[in-house]
Amino acid sequence: MTIKLRYSPKQQALRAEIRQWLEQHVPQSALPSYDTAEGFEAHREWERTLHSGRWSMVTWPEQYGGRGLDLIEWLIFEEEYYRADAPGRVNQNGVFLFGPTLMEYGTAEQKARFLPRLASGEDIWAQVWSEPQAGSDLAALRTTAVRDGDHYVINGHKIWSTRAVFADWGFGLFRTDPTSERHRGLSYIVFPLNTPGVRVRGIPQLDGGAGFAEIFFENARVPIENLVGAEGQGWSIAMATAGFERGLMLRSPARFQRTAQRLVDLLRSAGSRGDPSLESLVSQAWMDAEAYSLSTYMTASRLIAGGSIGAEASLNKVFWSELDLTMHRTAIQLLGAEAELRARLGASDTPALREATRWMDGFLFSLAGPIYAGANEIQRNIIAERVLGMPKA
Amino acid sequence: MQFTFDEEQLLAAQALRDVLTDHCTGADLRRAAEAKDLADFETVCATRRRSLRELALETALLSESAGGLGLAPIDAVLLAEEAGRAALPEPLIETMALAVPLLSELTDQDARAMGVLDAVSSGDEIRVCWPGANLVHDITGAIHVLGGATDQDIAVKRATDLRSEPVVSVDPLRRLARADWESADSVAALRGARVSELWHQARLRARVFDAAQLIGLADRMTALAVAYSLERKQFGKAIGANQAVKHQLANVQIKIEFARPVVYAAAAALPSRLNGLDMDERPYSAKWLETRVHHALVAACDAADLAARTAIQVHGAMGYSWELDLQFYAKRSWVLAGLHGGRSQSFAAVHRSLVHDGLALGPDRSFG
Repeated sequence: MTIKLRYSPKQQALRAEIRQWLEQHVPQSALPSYDTAEGFEAHREWERTLHSGRWSMVTWPEQYGGRGLDLIEWLIFEEEYYRADAPGRVNQNGVFLFGPTLMEYGTAEQKARFLPRLASGEDIWAQVWSEPQAGSDLAALRTTAVRDGDHYVINGHKIWSTRAVFADWGFGLFRTDPTSERHRGLSYIVFPLNTPGVRVRGIPQLDGGAGFAEIFFENARVPIENLVGAEGQGWSIAMATAGFERGLMLRSPARFQRTAQRLVDLLRSAGSRGDPSLESLVSQAWMDAEAYSLSTYMTASRLIAGGSIGAEASLNKVFWSELDLTMHRTAIQLLGAEAELRARLGASDTPALREATRWMDGFLFSLAGPIYAGANEIQRNIIAERVLGMPKA
Repeated sequence: MQFTFDEEQLLAAQALRDVLTDHCTGADLRRAAEAKDLADFETVCATRRRSLRELALETALLSESAGGLGLAPIDAVLLAEEAGRAALPEPLIETMALAVPLLSELTDQDARAMGVLDAVSSGDEIRVCWPGANLVHDITGAIHVLGGATDQDIAVKRATDLRSEPVVSVDPLRRLARADWESADSVAALRGARVSELWHQARLRARVFDAAQLIGLADRMTALAVAYSLERKQFGKAIGANQAVKHQLANVQIKIEFARPVVYAAAAALPSRLNGLDMDERPYSAKWLETRVHHALVAACDAADLAARTAIQVHGAMGYSWELDLQFYAKRSWVLAGLHGGRSQSFAAVHRSLVHDGLALGPDRSFG
């Protein structure tokens, strides 16, 4: 079958169904930020609502609360989701990173135990990987999980754990063989964030929100049934997660197409303040968002046909993170002096002020894009070494 | 929804790539570029031309009943990519994607065009002289030239009847002449309201096929730069081990990989016939199609531009030398980036669609 860039009647029907459901359920006004206690719970409630319509985990098998949609159908879902300006996914790391990992590496018991509660938003998950001395060089991590009877005893210090302040569970990478080095002797272990001996301390972000945290472990005891995969297999499991994260699912193209659309709308309504360079940036941003979408449709088609995604995932990560940053910077410039003003989330906020705040919040967040999920410098190394075949330094 | 090439499409591209790998090497290009005269040029190109003719790609876009292979633009886009990758001197893609389909449109109205089409099918060369441009590549190798004085007419003329003046291109493999289109009588001709639409559609198609060639060129230049970065040693190690070099080439690869799908999607959106008969049943507007085509050209130009600049830089002083074959690919990419309004007019067209024509946008509109 040749390239056919048209949706089937079944895909069109799915789109219509999603659109209708979202029109009926997406909250009228934006929820407070999920980096506040109140906003976090509001977003958890939204996850429950999504789950009630079986829209929280559309690609998951039906037995875990999903719909078993394929990747093209997932793209359609995401397009409608962003088109509707639906709330951000507070359980994103669970949905897109931990869930798929567990489905691939977890035992039947673990899947039954974790996946339904993840799907319904009862458990919100945080990724617990980085350490003060192990960022880009993740294999330098030192936090240990030492076997003691039917428990692991965890000691050490993790950091930059997104959502951990308010989340329920963490999925982490720990050194289970204290004599090991680098990527050997690591294991993938999950644990409740309220485990005795686990202390979570929020780190205020650039935008002021409590988005990430550091986590201190002092003889925290975690039962051995919380080990995912085999002991010592943690690195390869984590890298599989990193593949999902960078590759396809963490940032669907629809998100950037929606931002690009808002950016064009901003230019159409506010003008370019007489600056032709801003006009070019807007058009370029729209083209890049479309290109990212088309590229993702190609990747999705290839995966559906039995292909796999490897180091080329790094191309995506660099591309969308820099695109997101450029779009928000451009919007800030289009807004001029209005850009600095913050909405107070009260009745006195004008729509224009809310939109300006949304752009500034998005701008601040977009600065994190080239850093998280593997800094873009690391991604460029991966592209050079594993896509182009250039030598390691 | 299916966005992967099928076996047949990939095999056709591979067949062309095989011929070009054998007969369009850097050394072959150099012999052609440094040919003493026309006779020498034709001698050094003869083997390749014979092998290409055996593939019968010139008429590939004609229906099978008309003696072609019945390919749609999307089936042929990878052929253009291969032609670009090799910096093919022959205007095979122009003949396949533009001259023959335009000629075929002519046959509906002017029976004389049928004879020309038959001659082209059996091996006669034909060139295109775009209205307003008057530049014809390799006119001496052709029997016929298809062109127009303005967008209001299309005609076929005999190459030898046309008064033409050789001009020199920066691309040493382009043998250009400036033709005086009014200097010869027509062998076949078409006038009327439909003609400007035919030229318009042909230009859209030309942009997509130029974009595909630019992707191939960018790919080739990147491959050359990577290979050199492994071979060239300084400070006791391959220069390609340095992040400063790696990251530049990674940036090129990113540009290529986010231009490629746009070019393919544009090719898939083109109507099979130049007069756009099958547009009616498509779920997108003519404006949307044009915007995608212009986007494809912008993206491919930018990828090839960065590839050329970076490949030259990675080669160091060698990159600035005539001796390096890289020049053939770089120069072809600069030439293609200027044709049919070039990158700038395409960028402006996208901008007009978005900001002034109010093209409908949004995450649900990736395909119209």
